[in-house]
Amino acid sequence: MNLKNLSIKRKLMLITMLTSGVAVVLSSAGFLIYDLISFRHSLSQDLVTQADIIGYNSAAAMAFKDESAATVTLSALQAKEDIVLAVLYTRDGKIFAQYSHPNSPRPSVSLAAEARGYRFEGSYLEVFRDVTLNGEPVGTLFLQSDMRQWNSRAKRYATIFLSFVLISGFFALLVSSKLQKLISGPILHLEDTMRMVSATKSYEVRATKFYGDEIGRLIDGFNTMLAEIQQRDTALHHANDELKTRTLELEGEIVRRKEMQKELLNAKHAAEDANRAKSAFLANMSHELRTPLNAIIGYSEMLEEETHELGKVENVKDLQKIQGAGKHLLSLINDVLDLSKIEAGRMGLHLEAFDITQMIDEMVSTLHPAISKNANTIQVHLANDLGVMRADITKVRQILFNLLSNASKFTDHGTITLDVDKSTEEGKDWIKFRIADTGIGITAKQKANLFQEFTQADVSIARKYGGTGLGLAISYRYVRLMNGRISVESEPAHGSVFTVHIPSRVTADVTEAAQTDKAGGSPAGAAATKSDVDTVLVIDDDSTVRDLMSRFLTRLGFNVVAASSGEEGLRLARQVNPLVVTLDVIMPDCDGWAVLNKLKADPELSKIPVIMVTVVDNESMGFELGASHYLIKPVDRDRLAVLIEKHRAARSSAATDAEVLAPSIRRDPSSKKEKGRLKGTLPRTMN
Amino acid sequence: MKKVGILIVIISLLSTMALRSHAEGLESSDSSEYLIKAGFIYNFAKLVEWPTTAFAQADSPIVIGILGDDPFGATLDRIVADKKINGRGFAVKRLKWTKELKDLRDCNILFVSSSEKEHMDGVVDAIKWLPILTIGDVPGFARRGGIMNFTLEDNKIRFEVNVEAAKHADLTISSRLLTLARIVQQVAADGRKPE
Repeated sequence: MNLKNLSIKRKLMLITMLTSGVAVVLSSAGFLIYDLISFRHSLSQDLVTQADIIGYNSAAAMAFKDESAATVTLSALQAKEDIVLAVLYTRDGKIFAQYSHPNSPRPSVSLAAEARGYRFEGSYLEVFRDVTLNGEPVGTLFLQSDMRQWNSRAKRYATIFLSFVLISGFFALLVSSKLQKLISGPILHLEDTMRMVSATKSYEVRATKFYGDEIGRLIDGFNTMLAEIQQRDTALHHANDELKTRTLELEGEIVRRKEMQKELLNAKHAAEDANRAKSAFLANMSHELRTPLNAIIGYSEMLEEETHELGKVENVKDLQKIQGAGKHLLSLINDVLDLSKIEAGRMGLHLEAFDITQMIDEMVSTLHPAISKNANTIQVHLANDLGVMRADITKVRQILFNLLSNASKFTDHGTITLDVDKSTEEGKDWIKFRIADTGIGITAKQKANLFQEFTQADVSIARKYGGTGLGLAISYRYVRLMNGRISVESEPAHGSVFTVHIPSRVTADVTEAAQTDKAGGSPAGAAATKSDVDTVLVIDDDSTVRDLMSRFLTRLGFNVVAASSGEEGLRLARQVNPLVVTLDVIMPDCDGWAVLNKLKADPELSKIPVIMVTVVDNESMGFELGASHYLIKPVDRDRLAVLIEKHRAARSSAATDAEVLAPSIRRDPSSKKEKGRLKGTLPRTMN
Repeated sequence: MKKVGILIVIISLLSTMALRSHAEGLESSDSSEYLIKAGFIYNFAKLVEWPTTAFAQADSPIVIGILGDDPFGATLDRIVADKKINGRGFAVKRLKWTKELKDLRDCNILFVSSSEKEHMDGVVDAIKWLPILTIGDVPGFARRGGIMNFTLEDNKIRFEVNVEAAKHADLTISSRLLTLARIVQQVAADGRKPE
């Protein structure tokens, strides 16, 4: 039985019993032991006295050596039941007379010479006394008592003690069983209450307080706690109810939201449809707008030249105005289209490796007229080891074009500086382009909106300097597209500095198509030597284009063969084995893509470089199918001239040293794409 | 041969020792009787009270007179030498029976030797009424008016007390002594032979 797990009731009783028991036992045992010890002492004194008397009475008998008299004297001890042995010794230690109790065994005792006084030997009390006659020793008396008085007294005491303990224990039990209720009663009541509370989960029950002691305070505390719990319980119930109501409300809300979501989804679909319609409309419009613009710009250029040759200088200026207005209109259309493409997220990257220095050289030479227009000079600083970068060359070029043409536009009689450098930041290599001018500059306020579309530094600027206000916005987006960044510092009236960082190896998350490095299909392969005159085959269903191209290219010294349809073009290509083919896309029956496919599929013709000349803005498709270059109408004739001249030069040298030339051309990755961006950039810079 | 010689010597030695011890035993038994009697006399002195008139001074010695042949030799003198009872020492005198009774009357204890059987009555008469403890070594002495007398019972020395005579002599004999003694009555008050 584990004493610790007893009930409080039992523990209290046990404690009371033990306490009183210990008190009773200790006090009575103390008393009894004291009594027994003092009794023993008095017993020994008694025995000494006894011995003195016997000694006195037997002294004379000893003195007169009367053994029988001494024996008689000793036998008087029969009355003393406790004395079991009495011996008289003569002075020389011999037994003179002795008496022993009839019922007692006779212990053998020898006289110890030094033994005097009394001693407790085992359960016996022994006394040695000198027997004297008138102060003179005549012998020694030995008395031995079995202390039966003491023993019987001890026995009696034990009995009394036991019964006393039993009786007092009984009364202590009686009293404690009554008194323990004082303490255990309230505790048991508290326990009952607690059990009831936990069983019924009802917090309205209260324990009754009996007394003002600690348990009373405990009960008070318990009641307070119950009250608290009850209060919280009620609050919890309320909160729960409220929660239910709220949940219901929320569910209703969710249903409403779902409906709304559905409506929104519908609205979104509608908006997307509308957007698609808008995109389609824009695409159509651009095509429809570009075709007449093509004619306007082309013929006005021709007219201008011819008029110039005829010496009618006054008309030249008018024609130049027509030309300028047309180009401006074209640039507007292009910018709007580009921006809408970017906004629609359809603007992809054509990543390729290209030589930076070469790209810059080409661009600067193209830009030269625009720069010198305001009597500006350009300084180009290129770092030595620029080498090759991998990016979308068209977009890089367009960014630089925009910035440089802006710089020249807002600078008069000043200097435009282009610094190109390499740097390493955050473990990546960057190409840094820094375009500085000494122009009017930009105020801090203007700077805030600088890269927003349709925003020029000032509304008045548009009037004074012209421009669509889209150039910087597009440049900004292109830079972001290539994970680069653009920033501007400026001081009004002192000029501006634009800095563009583009990773030297752009990694595109949005790549429109696989990179097309069609160097293999480059003019170098066109080593056929059928005609001594370089023939250019123009395939276009638009007679205006055919006419303009023919006149332009003939003037450059090419033999031009024109085809009005794809079928005819393919046939003619086999006949004349041209140096270059220019190919339109949108044609009845057999469109440009189909023609390109067939050209490249034919082993005889596949080596002929094809320059796409079209209003369809789908460079990647062209490169995919094997086109060498991609120009968008209206064609920049200078650009076209450069490209075709390149192929002519390549072919003539290839005839003699094809092996050597081929790789060098292949190394020029920009060649086939150059015109892609010229369509938009050049007109803008001309403004 | 040699061994036999040694054996003879040892045997002769042992036998001479035995003879000697026997002779001593006889001698000592004889003298031990008077040794005991001398001790008794000394012990009697302890258990008997004399009236104060018996002594001249508080520290006057107890005078023991030996009448007739002295059987003690030096034993009695040795026993009582340097002993004191109640501040009194002892003095031992040896007396002869004469008509001069002054010597007798100076004693406190008078031992009547067995050689004085003839003068037994005379001695009693001579010191009648005087506080003198008479101790006889003569059979019947107490009955004839002596106060105490040595007897032999079962080879043990005992003594008789004539309580009447003691009373006459104004001597108080302790009850402790009386319990050990045989009390005898005086046969003839005048010491006359009851013939």
